[in-house]
Amino acid sequence: MAAAGLLLGVMVILLLLGFPMMVPLLASTLIVLLAGFSFLDPTVLIQQMIGGVQPAVLTAVPMFIFAADIMTRGRTADRLLDVAMSFVGHLRGGLPIAAAVSCTLFGSVSGSTQATVVAMGGPLRPKLLRAGYSDSFSIALLINASDIALLIPPSIGMIVYGVVSGTSVGELFIAGIGPGLLILGMFSFYAYWVARREGVAPEVRASFGTRIAALRKAALPLLFPVVVIGGIYSGLFSPTEAAAISVLYALVLEVIIFRAVRLREVPALALSTGVITAVVFILVAAGNAFSWVISFARIPELLLGDLLVAAAADPTLLLAVIAVAYFVGCMFVDPIVVILILTPILAPAIAGSGLDPVLVGTLVTLQAAIGSATPPFGCDIFTAMAIFRRPYGQVIRGTPPFIIMLLGATALVILFPSIALGLRDLAFR
Amino acid sequence: MAEFPRHPAWAALKSLDRGIEQMEKLVLAGSVLLMAGVNIANVFGRNFLGQTLASAEELNQILMVLITFMGIGYGVRHARHIRMSALHEQLPGPWRKGLHMVICAGTALLLAALAYHATRYVGEVRTLGSVTPALQIPLYLIYLWVPVGLGLGVLQYGLALLGNLMAPGTYLSLHRTEGCEPPEGGA
Repeated sequence: MAAAGLLLGVMVILLLLGFPMMVPLLASTLIVLLAGFSFLDPTVLIQQMIGGVQPAVLTAVPMFIFAADIMTRGRTADRLLDVAMSFVGHLRGGLPIAAAVSCTLFGSVSGSTQATVVAMGGPLRPKLLRAGYSDSFSIALLINASDIALLIPPSIGMIVYGVVSGTSVGELFIAGIGPGLLILGMFSFYAYWVARREGVAPEVRASFGTRIAALRKAALPLLFPVVVIGGIYSGLFSPTEAAAISVLYALVLEVIIFRAVRLREVPALALSTGVITAVVFILVAAGNAFSWVISFARIPELLLGDLLVAAAADPTLLLAVIAVAYFVGCMFVDPIVVILILTPILAPAIAGSGLDPVLVGTLVTLQAAIGSATPPFGCDIFTAMAIFRRPYGQVIRGTPPFIIMLLGATALVILFPSIALGLRDLAFR
Repeated sequence: MAEFPRHPAWAALKSLDRGIEQMEKLVLAGSVLLMAGVNIANVFGRNFLGQTLASAEELNQILMVLITFMGIGYGVRHARHIRMSALHEQLPGPWRKGLHMVICAGTALLLAALAYHATRYVGEVRTLGSVTPALQIPLYLIYLWVPVGLGLGVLQYGLALLGNLMAPGTYLSLHRTEGCEPPEGGA
């Protein structure tokens, strides 16, 4: 128990002080190793860090980020937005519904919530404000709808969870679609209700010709999720191969067809991808060392002894505990870090309960998505503050209804697992 | 950048640092581009020619080690490492700067300890003489980048500490003061 206390104590203190996240993970691991297991050579920590970034499926992370970087610079976002507007813009609440749909569509090509906030938030917020929606509603809608990107494949969070927990990334991708669409439906209904309450007039209905034109312009970006999801769903591609194809697709689309990105800009985009990947992967490496030491020291069993017994008896209770643990964690810390810390701690409980690991993974990713936009420290709040140049209070004011809807979606997934597993079973079973 | 005293040692340090930055950029961007090329070729090879590049997985693993560890220093340089800065930012100016110096020193110390163990590990691997199965590259040449990357991280945190000691303002890195953080922080 002393080892568990030491490990968690050191980690929490360093984390709160504002050390880069790799430090709490690595310092606590090193201290437990030196204090509790002096017979082990600390080079084992280096071995584990290197081993952490060797799984082949992790290659998908830089590839999806690279594709997203290329498309964020190019025209994909605009075209997806135009097509969503031309089809639902005339409905009551049509503009925010189109915004939520566009964020979901962009999430299905980018896999990163922050890339989605940046790409979609920029053009959408002024439109929402001009139409008469309040700023707090507009910002809250944009950051929460962007978080659907974490659930809709490709998803960086799911790749990391799949690697850490040993769950199939392809199955996780497919299982995220159902909850993602459920949340999109909830947000659309809320947008309709807000538009009615505020008396915001709908936009003019787009003509048939306008719709066809928007559809034609967006045809290639729209084909992108078909290729990625369809390829994985049909078993044609592994997630890693789908990621490589998405880079090629993004390059052909933005450099050759749209001519929105010049070839000489590509190395700079690759550098940006390299940096984002590096800061995530150093955490994955540190997380692997951390995960190794806690399972070596049997810390999960020490911490969760009673829960393990209770969980074996009631898997639904365990799912609820998992959801709360990840939700609270993600309110404070970056979701990737929460996944890296909590997954190995909870792994024995999940393995003993007989729960479907894909269901657990979907639920975890859902909590990561909620946490990314939830005060006090959801990371998308800070992205929104930076790109919209709005103070913290204004960015979070509109979020409570969204959090309630997302928690509702969590409860629905726990009670009706087929929301997530239905499509997965169709594709893989 | 801060206006530091015009000392020849300082100027030399700065030009060395610029050289290192260029190398880090080259490694990061080059690795991503190479990885994209290898994996795209591999998909086509598997689906259309019925054969995969045996070396593709190995190359991916090498490139991931390069990106992960050679990106440490560049991440510090541009204040991109993920951290929970919210509580830290509530502190009044001098306290914030003080805590930041503790963070720089502590992180540099930890990375230095890791670099030391990584160097020992590379030595062990070298003695064993293992090579990768497909490309027959000695493993130690790949793992060598781990202590190098960790060492560059030590250098950057050391320089940030120096910046904070020598000039007013809080230096997140030698190149970046507070208040100019980039909009996006991670994946």
